[in-house]
Amino acid sequence: MTSPFLIEARKAIEDPQLQELLDRNADTRRERRVNALRQLPDAEHLRERAKAIRRETISNLAVHLDKFTKRLSENGFHIHRASDGEEASRMVIEIAKKHGAELVAKSKSMVTEEIGLNEALASAGIRAVETDLGEYIVQLRGEPPAHILTPALHLTKEQVAETLSKQLGEVVLPDVAEINRTARNSLRKVFFNAPIGLTGVNFGVAETGTLCMVTNEGNGRMVTSLPPVHIAVMGIERLVPTLKDLAVMLRLLPRSATGQKITNYVSLINSPRRDTDPDGAEERHVILVDNGRGALLGTPLAESLDCIRCGACLNACPVFREAGGHAYGSVYSGPIGSVVSPALFGISEFGHLAKASSLCGACVEACPVGIDIPSMLLRVRAAAPPASRSIERGLKTYAWLARSPTRFRWAQRLAALAIRFLPTQAGWITSLPGPAAEWTSFRDFPAFSTRPLRARLGKMRLDVQPRSPEIEPPAETIPLPEKDLDESKVDDFEVELKELGGEVIRCSEGNAVDRIVGELYGLGVSRVLTWGQVEPILTTTLQRLEEEFQVMLPELPTDGSRSELLAEYDQAEVGITGSLAAFADTGTVVLSTASRRSFLPSLLPAVHLVIVRARDIYPNMETWLEAGGAQTIVDSSSVVFISGPSRTADIEMTLTIGVHGPGQVIAVVIE
Amino acid sequence: MKVQLLATCIVDSFFPEVGEATVEVLVKAGAHPTFPAAQTCCGQPLLNAGYTAEARALAIHTIETFSDEAPVVVPSGSCADMIRHRYPELFATVPRALGQARALADRTYELSEFLIDQLMIADLAAPDARFIAYYPSCHLLRGLGIDRQPIELLKAIPGGSVQRLEPDCCGFGGLFSVDHAPISKEMLLRIIRQIEDTGAEVVVGCDASCLMQIEGGLRRAGSALRCSHLSQALTGREPGLR
Repeated sequence: MTSPFLIEARKAIEDPQLQELLDRNADTRRERRVNALRQLPDAEHLRERAKAIRRETISNLAVHLDKFTKRLSENGFHIHRASDGEEASRMVIEIAKKHGAELVAKSKSMVTEEIGLNEALASAGIRAVETDLGEYIVQLRGEPPAHILTPALHLTKEQVAETLSKQLGEVVLPDVAEINRTARNSLRKVFFNAPIGLTGVNFGVAETGTLCMVTNEGNGRMVTSLPPVHIAVMGIERLVPTLKDLAVMLRLLPRSATGQKITNYVSLINSPRRDTDPDGAEERHVILVDNGRGALLGTPLAESLDCIRCGACLNACPVFREAGGHAYGSVYSGPIGSVVSPALFGISEFGHLAKASSLCGACVEACPVGIDIPSMLLRVRAAAPPASRSIERGLKTYAWLARSPTRFRWAQRLAALAIRFLPTQAGWITSLPGPAAEWTSFRDFPAFSTRPLRARLGKMRLDVQPRSPEIEPPAETIPLPEKDLDESKVDDFEVELKELGGEVIRCSEGNAVDRIVGELYGLGVSRVLTWGQVEPILTTTLQRLEEEFQVMLPELPTDGSRSELLAEYDQAEVGITGSLAAFADTGTVVLSTASRRSFLPSLLPAVHLVIVRARDIYPNMETWLEAGGAQTIVDSSSVVFISGPSRTADIEMTLTIGVHGPGQVIAVVIE
Repeated sequence: MKVQLLATCIVDSFFPEVGEATVEVLVKAGAHPTFPAAQTCCGQPLLNAGYTAEARALAIHTIETFSDEAPVVVPSGSCADMIRHRYPELFATVPRALGQARALADRTYELSEFLIDQLMIADLAAPDARFIAYYPSCHLLRGLGIDRQPIELLKAIPGGSVQRLEPDCCGFGGLFSVDHAPISKEMLLRIIRQIEDTGAEVVVGCDASCLMQIEGGLRRAGSALRCSHLSQALTGREPGLR
């Protein structure tokens, strides 16, 4: 019986357009991942640490989950635990009904795909709109995502433009920038009107009760900051014990996924909106989904729970490259999907996926947490029902023959005789009968030798003194290159931010205001969204600004509709903010919602101008966490790491700047 | 030094020429190869197809056949990887067999690894002026971490030159090559394109199984290019597995 995977894979192979997109995905993503990891001085060491963190977390999952839920509830989250997908969907529907919500703005989440949340919401009369560009497009087309990271991987820009034109009733040209603009405009309304924002979670930090989401387009920030209610749905396995462990994952996840050093946005959410916060969801829910995960603990497939959903194994896999994501018939495709799908959804239905691998090991080589996927594929194969009776009979006969050298020798002779009547060319058979005909459909097969090696060498004797095996020489240890970032923090920050497409203006305290105002003249803007009296430089700047610009200090009401106010704030062309800290190695600025520092100026306008003090630049995330950053995270309701302008490569892997968040980021560094 | 040659079922049945060349290389390197006649198959095809019990039976047979303490040399990365990494897993819960499996794993070497890391001999090749495309097979490279050893041996061939191909599975994968033939075919065609782009005169690798897939594909495509096992390249054989 032909497997459902193979039937779909055949169609994919015969689609030259899809093949081109899959090739481009494999080549580009692999190259970017390898380059990004090569830049780390200690990639292999980090990978070992990440692996150890995941092993420990999953081994003691119950303990970490208890701590996590306890902290979450201390932080003011509502916690729900769902044993299966149906229960999780019901919980979302109940929350939505309580708030009378008919519209939910969603940011990309694989677990909600897994549980079929959108369909459940639709049947309850609630419209869920996907806001990630790729996910938005496949939703409009009524298709499942083709890749956990790049949902519209299988589509050309022409197909995307056609879909948008048809669904939105306006002419959209097949141009990636135009497609992006169209989606941005159309989804603005959703962000501003949806009473509920729904997201997945990349990592939950157990010790602090923090939700971490990594995104690029800015839609994740929109749906966690603008709607009054936020629901986060997460698998129970997506935990890391500490913020320090999170830092390890944040180094590896984006590098492995898209080859970025860091995603444009890393959101760290600690609590619902507090009294002094000018915005943010007032109510935050966390739905912890089991859906088969708990039952995997302690089984031979438990290691599959280590997965952090980076998609690197999909991009490295030579089989995925031919078959594409849809052939797997599961939301989780590629090598890890061939383990996770049978593990979570049943071996009888998905066990055949484990055979869709040559066991080449490219997946484990690419995996940032070192999951031994080939070994687990073997375990699934051992548990799966046989594909065909004739193959089973053949293999069992072979095993019986090979258990006895006498039988094996006879079988070799008989085989050599039997093939004499098959067509051969220079000792290679050009056509085999039965199931073996698959081999000769595109390759020749070697004829059995009439004189096997055993017949040629059988007379060799054991006539030399045995020796004891030699001890293998110890593996060389390569000293890690030391990196001194302290001396040139500002230079490094500038280089990194510019590499991401950001701009850097360096100035002294004395001329900062002049430089900022000058920059605004240069941009030709008239409306400014900013923080006001909370940042010393902004206080002075504000007086200058108010004379010539329309200045808005955003604050969202805690009751009633926010949409009109948001639409008004959205008129601002530039947002000006300060920053708590910056990371030199990734060109990142850190913002928090604490003390009336709204997230909106860094999110809504097309230009974000951020003031960074040179003394607040740290070599990297880890040094900041140690120097008090961890406390800052715990003390804030939300923290965001921003690295350059918002971006996407969802369509044909073409990088486009400025999706939902700002397309221009200007850092004014005060030295 | 006495060594036990584990020829592999594929070499024994289809490519005895590879076995003979391997013996020649080992003798040249100063070793005394022996051929334990009871050897058949290491069991990898069965383990990969999901028949663990059958694979275990063949593993026991192999462990018994190679019970002598002399090092075991295998002209295949894949079969050497099976013994080194899968055998101990197969007997993880059977302490006595596990001890034997580990002992065998510890004294089993892939050919190029044995020559370079154990005997520390690189320059034993006959002169040959061909331009070689070296194919790094998956289990050799990713399972055993062997890469520099075969390249070092090939680079020592007087008069020749070597280019390492980018690692990319040839699409063999045992039963996969038949039950997922359409995908196996695309993978094969991709590696053939890469090989042809190098302009090489021969493809050399350390696994007869992968080379069987690649040469089978080259022959069918009407290409004049042939594959050689490392041992054949080192002993100056004409290109071609047989």
